[in-house]
Amino acid sequence: MRSIVYYVREFLRPEWLKKFFSVKTAPLTTPAYFKGYPTLTDKECTHCLTCMMICPAPGAIAVLRHKEQWAPEIYPGHCIRCGLCVEACPEGVLTSGRILDVTSRDKTAFSSWYRLEVDDNLCMRCGNCCVSCPVNREIDPQLAGTGTSASDEVIMRIEGGRVTILHEEKCTGCKTCETNCPNRAIRVARMVEGVQGGEAEA
Amino acid sequence: MRNILQEIKNFVRSRSIHVSYVDVGSCNGCDIEVLACLAPRYDIEQYGIYVHNNPREADVLLVIGSVTPQWVDKLREIWDKIPEPKAAVAIGNCPISGCVYARRGTLTTPPVENYIPIAASVPGCPPRPTEILNAILSVAPIIFKDYEEKQP
Repeated sequence: MRSIVYYVREFLRPEWLKKFFSVKTAPLTTPAYFKGYPTLTDKECTHCLTCMMICPAPGAIAVLRHKEQWAPEIYPGHCIRCGLCVEACPEGVLTSGRILDVTSRDKTAFSSWYRLEVDDNLCMRCGNCCVSCPVNREIDPQLAGTGTSASDEVIMRIEGGRVTILHEEKCTGCKTCETNCPNRAIRVARMVEGVQGGEAEA
Repeated sequence: MRNILQEIKNFVRSRSIHVSYVDVGSCNGCDIEVLACLAPRYDIEQYGIYVHNNPREADVLLVIGSVTPQWVDKLREIWDKIPEPKAAVAIGNCPISGCVYARRGTLTTPPVENYIPIAASVPGCPPRPTEILNAILSVAPIIFKDYEEKQP
C-alpha cells in the first residue's frame, strides 16, 4: 500500500509530468566541422574556373563578376556538398568545414593535365586540328594546309597520313581542335589526380 | 466558443503531425536520411511527428527524388488523397533541380513543383536528418495553425 502511494506521488510531480510529456532533446545542431555549403573567404578569386571544372553536380557553382571582382557562387538546390571546389581552388577562395585545415596539414592538392585522344576510325586526316591549334601556330608559324610540320616541338602533326601526338603536356585545354574537327574524331579530356607532398602544379 | 475550439485544434495539431513519404525516383540516399530521423539519436516521435506512410491519414507529404515519368500522374493522385490541411516538403536536391540526374539522356522530369504545390524544400544530397526535422517542425505551424480561421 505504501509503495502504491509512493508511486502515485512520484508520478504526479510537476517536474516528472513535464519531462514525460514534453520534448526531451531540442533539434540537434550541425557541428562546425561538418561540410556545409562552401562559403567565401576574404581571398581574391582569380577567375581560373578550377572549381567549376571539378564540380560533379550540374549547375551547382558559377563564377560571376560583381563589379570588377570575380567570385564563385554556390546554388544550394544543386550543390551536393562534396567539397571538391574547396579542395581544388588554388587560392583558397572557398571554405567549408575543416577541409582547408586538413589539406594544408596533409599537403594534399589536385594536379591536372589534358589528354588528347584521336579516334582513328573517325579521323579523315584533314589536319584541321593541327592547323587550328593556337599553341601549334605559335611554335611553328609555317604550319598550314595539310597539318604536316618540320618542327618536333608542336603538340601534334600529321605524320605519314596519321595524326601523331608529340607533346600532350603543352595542351592548354582550349578545345579549338575539337570544334574544328569535322568528324568529332579528336577529344580533349581533363585529367585530375590527387597528389600529396607539395608537388602539385595547378 | 469558436476560438476555444480553434485553440484545442492548434494544440492537438502542434503535437500530432502525421507524415507520409513517397519516393518518386531517387537513389535511396534521402530515404535513408528520413529513416535516420526515426532512429533514437534524432527520435522524430518525441516532437509528435509520426510516420504512417498512408496518404489518407497524413498531414505532411515528404517527396523524395527526381520525378520519373511513371510517377507524374501517380504523385498527383497521392497528393489529392491527403485530407486538408496538408503540406508537401521536398527532401533533397532531386525534387528541386534533379541533382545529378538533371543531365542529357536521363528519364527524369524535375522539378516536383510542376506537379504538386511544395511548401518547403530541404536542399542537400542527401540533407542531414536535423535539416529534415527542422523543415517539418518549421513548416507545420505555418500551415496548420488557425487553419479554419484562415479559410475564406
